[in-house]
Order: sequence, then structure tokens, then C-alpha cells
Amino acid sequence: MKLFEHHQVRSVTQAIRLLERYGGRAKLNAGGTDLLGLLKADVLPEYPEAVIDIKPIRNLKKIKLEKGLLKIGALVKLADLAESSLMRSQYPILAEAALRIGSPQLRNVATIGGNLCQDVRCWYYRYPCHIGGPILCLRKGGNTCPAVRGDHRYHAIMGGKGCMAVCPSDLATALSVYDAQVVISGPDGERNVLIMDFYYPLGYALQKNEMVKEVFLPPIPQSSKQKFIKFTLRKPIDFALVSVACLLGFKGDEVADARIALGAISPSPIRAYGAEKRLIGSPINETIVHEVAEIALRDTKPLSGNGYKVNIAKTLIKRVLADLRFNQKVDR
Amino acid sequence: MSNPYHCGYNLHSKTLHTASPGGGLKKTRQSKIRLHVNGKLHDLEVGDKPHQIKPSHTLAHTLRETLGLTGTKLSCDEGACGACTVLMDGKAVLSCMLLTVECHGKTILTIEGLRNPETGELDPIQKSFIEHTAFQCGFCTPGMIMSTKALLLKHPHPSEEQVKEGLSGNFCRCISHYHVLEAIRALTGEKGHS
Ligand SMILES: Cc1cc2nc3c(=O)[nH]c(=O)nc-3n(C[C@H](O)[C@H](O)[C@H](O)COP(=O)(O)OP(=O)(O)OC[C@H]3O[C@@H](n4cnc5c(N)ncnc54)[C@H](O)[C@@H]3O)c2cc1C
Ligand code: SF4
Ligand code: FES
Ligand code: FES
Repeated sequence: MKLFEHHQVRSVTQAIRLLERYGGRAKLNAGGTDLLGLLKADVLPEYPEAVIDIKPIRNLKKIKLEKGLLKIGALVKLADLAESSLMRSQYPILAEAALRIGSPQLRNVATIGGNLCQDVRCWYYRYPCHIGGPILCLRKGGNTCPAVRGDHRYHAIMGGKGCMAVCPSDLATALSVYDAQVVISGPDGERNVLIMDFYYPLGYALQKNEMVKEVFLPPIPQSSKQKFIKFTLRKPIDFALVSVACLLGFKGDEVADARIALGAISPSPIRAYGAEKRLIGSPINETIVHEVAEIALRDTKPLSGNGYKVNIAKTLIKRVLADLRFNQKVDR
Repeated sequence: MSNPYHCGYNLHSKTLHTASPGGGLKKTRQSKIRLHVNGKLHDLEVGDKPHQIKPSHTLAHTLRETLGLTGTKLSCDEGACGACTVLMDGKAVLSCMLLTVECHGKTILTIEGLRNPETGELDPIQKSFIEHTAFQCGFCTPGMIMSTKALLLKHPHPSEEQVKEGLSGNFCRCISHYHVLEAIRALTGEKGHS
């Protein structure tokens, strides 16, 4: 790793002050499980002049319920999300998504803030600088996206606007189902951004002098059934090829509330609103399940080499619906 | 150190937050990192001289190159293989993905720290790995053993599922996983059910 100046801060204000002072030439470090990989391979368009350790900020490490709102500090670790009994009983999708990330060692240090702000996993983007120089793609300020004509088997099948890399964060997929808001702190105070709007075509809804302070989740409907499925080639370590999160509320046999989020198919997590609408008011049967899967994937435009992800996504949707229909209990 | 948890090395350099771009390194040069490694206290200087800890040094680098504890292995160096696993405050972490300057006040346990320092007797986990030949080349073994240590600290009688989950971040190129599972099973008396 090339050298950088190193700072540690104890408050959000201090972090923001330093970010401002470096004017975009500093990087925050939370767990470091993503940042250190980027620095070692020297893939960022500009190597940061400084790294700012935000771990000493104390008040970002709690999960708390406040007036029905669940607030999760940016420094809450994935292991804490996965193991918290509150998460497991009330927000099992988020707990399961956290549990399915990486390995125990990663979850012991990786944070929710870092997970949401992690960089894309596109292999052109991550190509190590020391092997023949960096690949200057669109996301790094270049002119083209080599993935479009190259090997894009893991890239987006919808929603790409220039950059075809998918949002790598499983927590973002899970949070979409809960309509979570990301609380962003900056020099002028705080603002909230809906998780689905947090990802931009070439980056994040964060200015150079802003950071994620916490995430909050509005109350969930009573007695809903929830499930998260992540399709990977190997169970641990691998990123999702496709993931689906689904929350259903029933009135008798009929679906009264439906939320479906799809991950790893687009540069941001996707809510399948059309499919949700179709589900509401119907019982879950084979016809509906097929129809819903078709509607959810209707707007996809796969590249030449990743159409298979459409089929995986449809299958996962059918699986998740069947599972929620037949399992009375939410299984973690 | 009355409050070791998450106290940065800037405890020793109060001017840190006023450091300006370009001047930060000068400030960190005077600071110190305190690590408790395998029961021993190390006060390490931060700076850019050869004997000092650079801000860009990983914990794996410091353990191996500065402290000479080469039992901790480096393989992928990007968080994906588990070879560099050590225990930090009792939990398994990847030493290749941590900056040493951010580990001030932490308690680290490496493979070298498992044996009894007085008698030299090996940890039961190490013994069981040897008895079951739970390795071939042995490169992943320190990481496997440290993950097992963390697992057994958390679940002294883990189920088969918990063992597999606990070791899911440790890869073995020689496919000794099956023997590793046997070694752990023998240790915990787990018969493979539940
Ligand atoms: C082998 C491996 C497998 C993985 N598999 C998965 C997977 O399957 N699913 C998945 O979702 N993730 C996966 N990850 C990614 C992992 O979850 C992230 O690396 C981790 O969550 C990042 O958290 P961190 O605290 O370590 O972030 P850091 O590395 O500290 O930070 C990541 C980025 O976010 C920025 N940042 C951190 N905190 C904040 C904040 N509060 N505000 C603004 N910016 C911030 C940093 O500047 C940096 O750019 C994997 C990672 C590895 C190494
Ligand atoms: S998909 Fe995005 S990150 Fe990957 S090469 Fe194209 S522009 Fe770059
Ligand atoms: S060397 Fe650290 S995880 Fe591979
Ligand atoms: S024994 Fe060779 S890598 Fe595991």
C-alpha cells in the first residue's frame, strides 16, 4: 500500500471538517475491508492523500428503536446485525442478508455504513494498477465502459446508465424492502435519502464532504412474513449473482401487503413495484407466482453474456413467494 | 491505559486534528501504538523510518515483519482466504485488512500464542489438528486453527452447522477441510447431528 496521512476522529463533526479540508483527497475508513483492498490494488482514480479512521466515533455504534423507528448507526458491525435478537425477530431480511456476507472474520469488522458505501466489484474497475496500469473506465473518469463488450457475466441486466456494474451491497437490497432512509451528515447539517435513491449511475448520493451517519427503518406492518434469498456459486465469500428480498402481509389467504426487492441486477437495488401491485389482493398460487416473476423482470435489458441472470431472478422470486406462502413461520 | 477500546494512537499526539494536509505525517511520527500480542506488551513507534510502523502497514505486516511472528500467513491479501486470521479482543479478524495504527490498545492472539508459555504444551486444538493430520501443505492451518479458537470461545460445544459457519472464511487449497472437521469434532465430542 502506498503511504497516506492518517487521522482518527471522535465525532462526525471532526470527520466532516477533515473531509472538507482535504477537498475530496481523503477517504473515510470504517472496517477497512473494502477500502484496504482498493488501496492495495491502487485502483481509485486518485490515490487518497489521507485516510480518516471513523471507528473512534462512539455514538454511531448502536441499534435502537425510537418511537417505532429503528435506527442503526453507521458503525454497527455486520455481525451485530446478524446476531441481534431484535433484528432476527423483527427485521429477519436484514439479519439474514448480513449473515450471508463474506465470512465471520469480515462480519466482525465490516460496518453497515461501509457496506452501503463500498465500491463496485467490476473486475475492470478493480484491475490492479501494478499489472500494466489502471483501466480507466467510465466510472473512473474515462470515456467508455469496457464491460459492455467485454466479460460482463456478473454485470447489470437493467438500469445501467453508462456504468454497468451492479450494486454490490446485500444490505442495500435488504434495506429497500423496509423503505429505509440513509441519514447523510455534511457541513450544513443532515439530510435523508431513500436507500433506492442512494446509488447514482457513477457513484453515491454523497458529496465529497459528507458521510453516512445512520440508517433508519420505518415501522413494518404487523405480522408480516419475510425472506431473503441470495444466489451465489459458493456459499461463503461470494457476492450475490442475484438476490431477492420479500415481505408479505396476508389477510386470510390473500396478500394484503407486498414488497419485493431485487439485488445485484442493477447499479442500485430495485423495488419491483409492478409485481407488488399484481400480488396485492390475490392469493398465492402457481399462476400468480409465474405472472409476478414475469412482471418483475419485464424491463430488463441483459447484455450479450448475462441473460442467464434474468432466469435466476425469476426463479428466486418464485421460490421466495412459494416459501412465504407455505411456511407459516418466518424462517431466518 | 485506562480506556484501551477504540482509543487511537492520537492519544499520544494531541495536535492530530489540527494537522494540515502535508503536515499529518510529521505529527504521527511522534506517536506510539500499544499492542498486547500473545500476552506481551509492545509499544511501537509510528513513522516512516525502517523500524517504525507506517500508517499504511497492515496488522499482518506488523506481526510478521516487525514482530517476527511469521506463523500468521498472508495469501490473498484481500480479505478472501482467512490465512491471516488472528484473534483481536477474542474475535476472529483478518490481519491483512486492518491498519496497525488503528489497533492501538488491542489484545491480539496469534498462532504462536496458543501454546502454554511455561510448559510449551500445545493447545488442544493444535493437538487435535496434528492427530487428525488436518492439513497437507499447512499454509492455511494457522488461520484454520485461529478461526477454530474463536469459534470455541463463542460456542464451546458447537453444532456441525456452527463449525462449518465458523470456518467458512478459511480456504484450503489442499482440500483438508474434511480432516479439519474431524479434528474439531473429536475435540468437541460433536457426532455430526443437530
Ligand atoms: C472477500 C469479500 C467478500 C465480500 N462479500 C460480500 C457480499 O457477499 N455482500 C456484500 O454486501 N458485501 C460483501 N463484501 C463487502 C463487505 O461487505 C464490505 O467490504 C464491508 O461491508 C465494508 O464495510 P467496512 O466497514 O469494512 O468499510 P470500509 O472498507 O471501511 O469502507 C468502504 C467504503 O465506504 C466508505 N465509508 C465507510 N464508512 C462510511 C460512512 N459512514 N460514510 C460514508 N462513507 C463511508 C469508505 O470511505 C470506503 O470508500 C465482501 C468483501 C470481501 C473482502
Ligand atoms: S461496469 Fe462500470 S466500473 Fe465496470 S468497467 Fe464499466 S464503467 Fe467501469
Ligand atoms: S491473506 Fe488475509 S484473508 Fe487472505
Ligand atoms: S493444507 Fe495446504 S492450503 Fe490448507
